[in-house]
Amino acid sequence: MQKRSSVSIARNRLKALVTSDRVNCSPAAYEDICRELFETLSKYMELTEDNFDVEINRNQVIITFLGEET
Amino acid sequence: MGEVIVITSGKGGVGKTTTTANIGAGLSKLEKKVVVIDTDLGLRNLDVVMGLENLIVYNLVDVIEGTCRLKQAMIRDKRYENLYLLPSAQTRDKTAISPGQMKKLTSELKEEFDYILLDCPAGIEQGFQNAIAGADRAIVVTTPEVSAIRDADRIIGLLESQKIPKTDLIINRIRMDMVRRGDMMSVDDVTEILSVPLIGAIPDDEKVVIGTNQGEPVIGLGGPAQTAYMNICRRITGEEVPFLDLNTGNGFFSRLSSLFKKD
Repeated sequence: MQKRSSVSIARNRLKALVTSDRVNCSPAAYEDICRELFETLSKYMELTEDNFDVEINRNQVIITFLGEET
Repeated sequence: MGEVIVITSGKGGVGKTTTTANIGAGLSKLEKKVVVIDTDLGLRNLDVVMGLENLIVYNLVDVIEGTCRLKQAMIRDKRYENLYLLPSAQTRDKTAISPGQMKKLTSELKEEFDYILLDCPAGIEQGFQNAIAGADRAIVVTTPEVSAIRDADRIIGLLESQKIPKTDLIINRIRMDMVRRGDMMSVDDVTEILSVPLIGAIPDDEKVVIGTNQGEPVIGLGGPAQTAYMNICRRITGEEVPFLDLNTGNGFFSRLSSLFKKD
């Protein structure tokens, strides 16, 4: 009996595929994009791992910065 | 004023043409006036799926080039009130018409029809650009396979960047026996990845093959796919229809309910 269902393999392959298709680059590049955006923006604003997020949609790269907490 | 709906997928062979034929037939059963247009120049198929291939005199390119009037090229489907087909040209290629010309044609048709359904060719080239030019909304067809879903995602991205106001998803050929044992992605798996609203899921149904053999939409043959297509048609018209539980798609309850269905 095969333990791992083929669906979970398909899902993981697809998620990697669509993310890289959406930004038109290799699957590994997503991590690099996040890191470099973080480094660049850090020069101008105070960022932490917690208040910064990068989400890649079909037509947008959304950078979320929560800013100063009041 | 009618609505122009493009039926597209990116990948070929996922059921765009069958879906176009069945939604066309279904909407006409709901007493809407419908024209289905085959925009796949050089590889026409919609006429064959609908069983109207022997009635073609003029085609889409003839209309656009002014060789004939629109009325002369449209074939009325005798089995369905208010269903018309505008066939594609078999001997021309995708450069024979432009997006601007398609847009003009569809806006003309909107005056007379409730729904204009465009069967889009596979791919993302000019044929696709032509088909989406005048579209008010899009229906993306996919199957629960990695390659089809990947292509659907690209198509959805292109539709968004071309500012198509509304895009919905149809997942075709679901096999619940395979979903249950974890060997086919479920409706939820697919919609989560593609993140567009689902307008319907079609169970894999041999009646679709039988219908295509006979040149008859499955809408006229009964069975789980027919029910799913009719539900999609109702949702297109704005009616709220609960989704079929595909767990019972081939089971006792669906057979029981089809006994009581009145068409």
